[in-house]
Amino acid sequence: MSKCMYVEALRMALREEMHRDKKVFVMGEDITRYGFGANRGLVDEFGAERVRNTPISEAAIIGSAVGAALRGMRPVAEIMFVDFIMIGMDQIVNQGAKMSYLANGELSVPMVIRAPEGTEWFGGGAQHSQTLHSIFMNIPGIKIVIPSDPYDAKGLLKSAIRDDNPVLFFEHKQLYTQKGEVPEEDYTIPLGKASIKREGEDITVVATSWMVKHSLEVAEELKNEISIEVIDPRTLVPLDKTTIINSVKKTGKLLVVDESPVNGGVQGEIISAIMEESFWNMEFPPKRIGSLNTPIPFSEYLEKEVIPTKEKIKKEILNIVSS
Amino acid sequence: MAINKEQKIKMFKTMSRIRTFEDKLQKIYRDGKLDGHLHTSHGQEAVAVGVMEALSDKDIIFSNHRGHGHFLARGTSPRNIIAECYGKVTGTNKGRSGSMYLVDTKRGMPVASGIVGGNICVATGSALASSIKKDNAVTISFFGDGATNIGFFHESLNMASLWNLPIVYICENNQYGEATKREEHQKIEKISDRASAYSMPGFTVDGTDLMAVYEAVKKVVDKAREEGGPALLECVVYRLRGHSAGDVGPYRPKKEEEEWNTKYDPIKKFKEELLEQKILDNQVVEKIEEEIEKEIEEAVNFALDSEAPLAETVSKYVYREEEDNE
Repeated sequence: MSKCMYVEALRMALREEMHRDKKVFVMGEDITRYGFGANRGLVDEFGAERVRNTPISEAAIIGSAVGAALRGMRPVAEIMFVDFIMIGMDQIVNQGAKMSYLANGELSVPMVIRAPEGTEWFGGGAQHSQTLHSIFMNIPGIKIVIPSDPYDAKGLLKSAIRDDNPVLFFEHKQLYTQKGEVPEEDYTIPLGKASIKREGEDITVVATSWMVKHSLEVAEELKNEISIEVIDPRTLVPLDKTTIINSVKKTGKLLVVDESPVNGGVQGEIISAIMEESFWNMEFPPKRIGSLNTPIPFSEYLEKEVIPTKEKIKKEILNIVSS
Repeated sequence: MAINKEQKIKMFKTMSRIRTFEDKLQKIYRDGKLDGHLHTSHGQEAVAVGVMEALSDKDIIFSNHRGHGHFLARGTSPRNIIAECYGKVTGTNKGRSGSMYLVDTKRGMPVASGIVGGNICVATGSALASSIKKDNAVTISFFGDGATNIGFFHESLNMASLWNLPIVYICENNQYGEATKREEHQKIEKISDRASAYSMPGFTVDGTDLMAVYEAVKKVVDKAREEGGPALLECVVYRLRGHSAGDVGPYRPKKEEEEWNTKYDPIKKFKEELLEQKILDNQVVEKIEEEIEKEIEEAVNFALDSEAPLAETVSKYVYREEEDNE
């Protein structure tokens, strides 16, 4: 076991899977020489055939990943910023997500699309800072993975690559340099299994991605007053409802924190799904925190008004628990 | 490789089968016995048949919403396609597609696209897989003239050219994108000219001339197989019917329609050729046409008699799970 960064954990997963299975290959814009670096160095080991820099053509990157996957390959395509995924939206929604269903399981699309999302003064502004994973929850046929630490990143990426379905894999930009313990040996984490990041008795906080770190810090700061349970679903599709329901039955209070805008989003979806089972266990109305229904403004001073912050999470927890 | 007499008769039969099949389906829709979208390929039969004749069994074909002809020419049974249009469990997709998203995995035909140009990128990825696996298969990507204005087309041709992928892009230029005449949706004279922008060979062929289509496809497919590298082949045809079953084409000059129907109907043209070459005589033609009529009639009855898919299967295969591989 050694400490490594989230981006290094991703690279370990890619490297191990490329060694394990010749069908795995990676592609994306400038992946050998620029960007956040998950694929850095792979070309020296695996060659340009399996580590492909592509033109700036997101539809062709995603569409050709769908096509290669249909033919038995296991592509891992990188979209440089999640905002650019919209150019290839048709290829995900109308093509990739529909193949298995329309062919009654005779075809499958074992591809992974990795995309960095989110902000907290990354300075990208409206078209380089979005959090878009919620949108895809409304599309049957794709799985959604969103790891919050290096250990989960490695284990989940390996599972995503081995999965026979299109998997969208979202990585928060702030996480890339976060460090954590990551075993050097092979391990996988099943898709659809939440992780209780901190046990507690008074309130259940369901947090995703970068919001897990914020929530854990708040839990630590408030530990003498409130016992906070922090759950990271790790995958949004499939969603591990059982772990969350069991927690809410214990605490009677629920806060869901995710960086995507609240309107029509994952926060509301998780709350609905949980309330259907545990409404009568509630001691306080379930609450959600996400971005305002506002584009991400450039200015550091404005951005923090729009996105969820540690302070906002803390305030809401205190509000729920003290009421 | 020259086409022999038997092949010619087989190809004539296949073209006739496509025509009779689509005539029948169109009538069923127009009589209000079936609902849904139906795009027939009247006038494009020589392309479907010419292309398939030039391919090998391992080649992969991506079809589109106007795709019955492609599937029938590849060997999919008319029974299964009609049953699909009726939403029955015996359909090509067990009732999940209707006419637009047909599939035949046994014949190298993944799901067809109902989004114009939507699977050009996917087809390019299939060629990428062949290029990495070195499996010697060529991928065919079918689309219409309308699709050559969409980004997928341009992104794909650029990528295929850059990576020297074994793919042939076949544009069935039927001169109309829905109700818009080609001259009103693009300024170029020949669609194949767009190939030069991507440093790949581009050809235009009379898509109503079966042998010309076959020879052109054979040449580019053989080259793609042996040397790799893409090509763009434009087959000029005319959509002898409307965009979809209910469309009688009020936006088209009647004279234009008549001219193409009389002079450039690929089936009439090929029939005359075969009669002239004494490969067929009128009696044999009549017999062939009767047999096909009967075959399609039986296919409709097969569809009518088939079971509906079971409600409890409705969400199966939204996701592929490990046990599906067993």
